[in-house]
Amino acid sequence: MTAVHQFVPALLPRDATGDHTRALRDALRAAGFSSDIYVEAAHDELQAEAIYFEEYPARAQPGDILLYQLGTSSPVAEFLLGRPEPLVLDYHNVTPEEFYAGWEEHTREKVALARAQVAELAPAAVLGIADSEFNASELCQLGCPATEVVPILIDLTTTTADAAEADRLANDHGQGTVWLFVGRISPNKVQHRLVAAFWLYRQMYDPDARLHLVGPAVTSDYVEALDAYVAELGLADAVRRVEGLSASQLTAWYEDADVFVCLSEHEGFCIPLLEAMAAETPVVALDAGAVGETLGAAGLLLASSRPSVVAAAVDRVRRDRDLVDHLIAAGRRRLADFAAPATAARFVDVLCRLDTERSQVA
Amino acid sequence: MTTTPSTPDVAGPKDPASAESGSDSAAAVEASRAAGVADDVAYLDQVMAEIDAEVRRRRASGDLPASLERELDELFLEFSPVGLQGKAKLRETLALIDSSAYVDIAVPTASNKAIGVYIKKTIRKMIGWYMRFIADQIIKMFWATSRMSHVLVEHVEELEADVEAHRTPDLPADVVVPADLAAAWWAPKAASACSAVSGRVAVGECGTGSLVEVLVAAGVDAYGVDPSDLALEDAIDRGADLRAEGVLDHLEVVADEALGGVVLTGAVERLRPNERGQLIELVATKVAVGGTVVLHSTTPEAWARSASALVRDLAPGRPLHAATWAHLLGGRGFTVTETTTGGAGGALAHVAASSPDAGAVNAAIDAVNELLGGPAEYVLVAVRER
Repeated sequence: MTAVHQFVPALLPRDATGDHTRALRDALRAAGFSSDIYVEAAHDELQAEAIYFEEYPARAQPGDILLYQLGTSSPVAEFLLGRPEPLVLDYHNVTPEEFYAGWEEHTREKVALARAQVAELAPAAVLGIADSEFNASELCQLGCPATEVVPILIDLTTTTADAAEADRLANDHGQGTVWLFVGRISPNKVQHRLVAAFWLYRQMYDPDARLHLVGPAVTSDYVEALDAYVAELGLADAVRRVEGLSASQLTAWYEDADVFVCLSEHEGFCIPLLEAMAAETPVVALDAGAVGETLGAAGLLLASSRPSVVAAAVDRVRRDRDLVDHLIAAGRRRLADFAAPATAARFVDVLCRLDTERSQVA
Repeated sequence: MTTTPSTPDVAGPKDPASAESGSDSAAAVEASRAAGVADDVAYLDQVMAEIDAEVRRRRASGDLPASLERELDELFLEFSPVGLQGKAKLRETLALIDSSAYVDIAVPTASNKAIGVYIKKTIRKMIGWYMRFIADQIIKMFWATSRMSHVLVEHVEELEADVEAHRTPDLPADVVVPADLAAAWWAPKAASACSAVSGRVAVGECGTGSLVEVLVAAGVDAYGVDPSDLALEDAIDRGADLRAEGVLDHLEVVADEALGGVVLTGAVERLRPNERGQLIELVATKVAVGGTVVLHSTTPEAWARSASALVRDLAPGRPLHAATWAHLLGGRGFTVTETTTGGAGGALAHVAASSPDAGAVNAAIDAVNELLGGPAEYVLVAVRER
């Protein structure tokens, strides 16, 4: 059987793309494919699983298929454009540069380059695999000859909450409603809109409410502005920013929250929605990017991020136990659509079909 | 409170017997699942409608002033480099540009090893001429950019000073009394113009909301907006769909082509020129093709006679003639189908019919009213053709 080798800019542990890449490699190997991971850089923990991408030409075999995990800019893209092997893109989306304009020039340039690389790679690929219809439509518009929608490989059944973290959070929980958002602090995630809605919620519904923002700070200017905004609104004691949590600690934060609120304006898939569903935390989210299709009917999907609407939606979740039970049940059903074994099988099926088609052509 | 629809449990492991029943069984499972999703969506739509109603109720009750959300956004802009506001921030940024407009070619040569210091110093000396040549050009470019920024900031400050010199105090909100429009002479005309409209009709600056009730009674799917939330309370209690916000704020958040019609009154007489342009743009965007605009206004002449001194002096804008509105709307794809004048503001009243020569006197009064006053108000009906 043919080899399907993956290329990824960075192979990192406890990272969605890194976990997806490794799980897909395992699934491909289990299906009989030969499969290695080629990288521009790998974390020390994963060095043994990675091969530097410039070593590939010496290892190339006839019939190889190259699969690129595309979510950022990298010299790997230029390398793959110069290769004769059939190229498959696994597209996780790149945030449009306009979100960073004025905030962080370096990041803006980086995502602009990444999107330029997507535009070059899409027509050169034989197939684009996308996490969502939203991502697939981008690939189509850029001239990708064929696309398949297969969600990211993520196994949410194995992580349990860190007991010590859960106890600590339970002791701190208090009477107020706890809002949670998980994602990097970044202009496209618009945490400042979340803060505005949260401020209004405290004014109108629950003065003891607290907001937890979990995620790394990417754009320092935006983080500074966000912190200043929080302080100006008098929320310094009510808003907490946290990063660097382990998977089990993060699960504890999800389980501690009364509601997961996402007002992000650009998402190619949005894994935290699934994590919230897995933790049985009701979701209130703005219908933007791929959020609507990932969430399905398992959360309150808002047409507007106006603070009054967000605050009223969270209040409804807080007051309406029937609604919460409904969302939790719908979340369980929605999660079943993203079960890792089924997703892995879909990936393998798509690649087997591609392999067969190419063999017949040959 | 809504009721939760029955929903199937999470799909469990497939039963071996059912697995043998083939594609019919799979199709049945899929159909059942699709039905469950449809139930979920319907239930959540209902919840969202109730949340929307809760927001409207809060706005109408005065808990949620229409301007509050805008102020929250503006506050964040104070901290944002993409929304720099105010002279201080401009000067602050200018200082940042000035302080950055220099390229230092004296590369640090510190090192943990003595040989490292020597190597770095040698490299610095060897390529110093080259770096200086490049750096000189970059610095010249920075200086030109900095100079241009200074010129721009000075222009902006001059413009701000000019604008400030022409600024008048704001018109006090309580000077504009919310009108009870149901009894207005043009209310039947508005109801008639909107009766055949397909889709929702928004009444801008609806006052006490009574005109909305007239329209609804005439079979029109109407709702109203008015910035004066207190005026709306009674009509809301009677079940009218009213929101406490300005007509511009409201139209901005309405989906494109979502409205079958718009009734405009009140604010159209005192909008600033830029706001008037914004209103026309919004109406042209939010009203569907084939939709109707009903616009009521006092005539400029009657406004000059009848508006209070405070309003005449401090209102940011003035009423326009009907022909001017027709021209402006015509430029955005509307055709005026009807213009009707009416209202009796400032006109001389008739003498009693029992008075001697009442007929001749009243005819003379009509002629004088026509010559000196003319009609006090007009209502204009326009249809979006494109």
